[in-house]
Amino acid sequence: MFNDCIIIYSIFGGCSQVEEGAKVELPFWLAQELYLRQAVSINVPACFNQKTRREIQADAANVDLRSRCPYFYEFGCKIAPLVGDRTIGKMLLSTFQMRYKDILTKAHTVAYAMASKFLTVLTKEETNLYEAAQLSMATFKKWRIGGPRFQRASVLGRKRKPIE
Amino acid sequence: MHGRLACRLVKEITTGEKGQLQPFNDELLNEVTKECSENFLVLQSLIRKMQDEGLDFQTTRNADHYGALINHLSLIRNKRCLMAYVYNRAEIIQNLVWKVGLRLFELPEEIQEKLSHSEKEYFNRHSAALESYMSKMDLDLNVDMVPPKDPYIKVRVLDDVGEGIVVSDKAANFARHSMHFLKRTDAEPYISRGLMEELTG
Amino acid sequence: MAGQSDSPISLFSPEEVEFIAEDELMEIVPNMRMDPLNFICGDFGPFFPQIPVKVPLWLAVALKKRGKCTIRPPQWMSVENLTQLLEGEREDQGTFQAVPFHYIEISRLLFDHAREDIPDIYMVRSLIEDIRDVRLHKVETNLEKFSATSAVKIAHLSAMEVNVVRPFVVRSLQAFYKHDNPVVTADLDSMSNRQPQVRQPQVPNNARRFE
Repeated sequence: MFNDCIIIYSIFGGCSQVEEGAKVELPFWLAQELYLRQAVSINVPACFNQKTRREIQADAANVDLRSRCPYFYEFGCKIAPLVGDRTIGKMLLSTFQMRYKDILTKAHTVAYAMASKFLTVLTKEETNLYEAAQLSMATFKKWRIGGPRFQRASVLGRKRKPIE
Repeated sequence: MHGRLACRLVKEITTGEKGQLQPFNDELLNEVTKECSENFLVLQSLIRKMQDEGLDFQTTRNADHYGALINHLSLIRNKRCLMAYVYNRAEIIQNLVWKVGLRLFELPEEIQEKLSHSEKEYFNRHSAALESYMSKMDLDLNVDMVPPKDPYIKVRVLDDVGEGIVVSDKAANFARHSMHFLKRTDAEPYISRGLMEELTG
Repeated sequence: MAGQSDSPISLFSPEEVEFIAEDELMEIVPNMRMDPLNFICGDFGPFFPQIPVKVPLWLAVALKKRGKCTIRPPQWMSVENLTQLLEGEREDQGTFQAVPFHYIEISRLLFDHAREDIPDIYMVRSLIEDIRDVRLHKVETNLEKFSATSAVKIAHLSAMEVNVVRPFVVRSLQAFYKHDNPVVTADLDSMSNRQPQVRQPQVPNNARRFE
């Protein structure tokens, strides 16, 4: 939502003066609009640099993408055309391919508590995927076992205080 | 920095459990609105300045132009965040109407406290609309959200339900921990509010 | 009201899939006499003692609960047939055996409400559980093979099996599609971004609201 990226060469005034040719960090939504008006050029953000790519190639499943960018894939798709780097798209696909299998097997086999460490390295979308798989399996198992069909509305959240 | 506060506001929706309300953040919302007004004032003054200097705003690309542009973009961004915040909360509030109860006082207190004044009004109007629609259709649309099985179910009272409750024209004494055999559609609202639980087996 | 499937990503809750399965026709043997029942979904009956008749599963269960009939388990629910199915599932890891579309839901409802009507119930039950587990495992192996956008065709999956994997599969395929077609996403993105590019900032109308 609020991804920072580096832009160079800016010429805006008014609020704060930035010299032409200076590097500043701007949120993506602003950088993108300025780029489209040819006011700035955008550098490849750190989460897509060569170092990260090498780490992903070495051991994709265990790279902590969340700390690098929780919206790794979405951001990648948006930034790729702006920095003119065609390899980003391919890298996103191969990263997802390598991590996908792990998400799938962990979602169906590993207990939730055991998976908590694994979950901390996932991006937002990967977490959604994992939770989608977990949740549908859990509701299926619950149905199989049977029990009350009616429950407290989940929109109310967890029970506030135990009833004495 | 432009849009930082608005971003914090939007993030409030994603923190905590999915689909559940956080307290309405009046303070932050006002700050973002204030930032919008500031953006607007700067934007206006920059445009006026350029006009005074006799510059064509459509073609000139000087610092003032970009300053105005950035303030304009920030304004749009902030507005979008404000709308996202209000909209996402409105969806949860609709959910409360459908799944918990048509009356505001039927909501647990801690939920009521999280609503702003206009959100409470939204709740009331949405439930009034739903109610009038249901009475025209002569159909309860907010029951049987789970495919129905038996018309009667066994329930246990979990909390103080209050006295003088009448279900299906019969008054019953719903003391805490007491068990009852109720019409499913009568019991459903109490279960969803967490006042009763269904017993099976 | 209570307990509705809360996950917006899953289309149906298991309860809803079960509800759909309850329309499957079952053979029952009534022990009472009753006039035909005329429902929106069709006419059933008349009912005579000891004369088998076909009714929807939900009606069969309702009559059974009131002691008005016995349910004849479907043909596929025999030990021989299930043993064969299980062997087939285990031998051929690549494909799925043709099982009834609602075998999981039907068997659960019958196990819950008509235990005494199913011969060799323990055997039948454990066979069906084994078949289900082998198949779910196979589905997972199948999903592991996804690597890019490709048409996915898995024949003979049952309703509940599809429902269990649907949320995950749909999301994954979307992700694969998106990253496998960078042009598509780039186009989509630039289309939505083009708008502000042409419009230079005048005093925007929508800004007035914040004056």
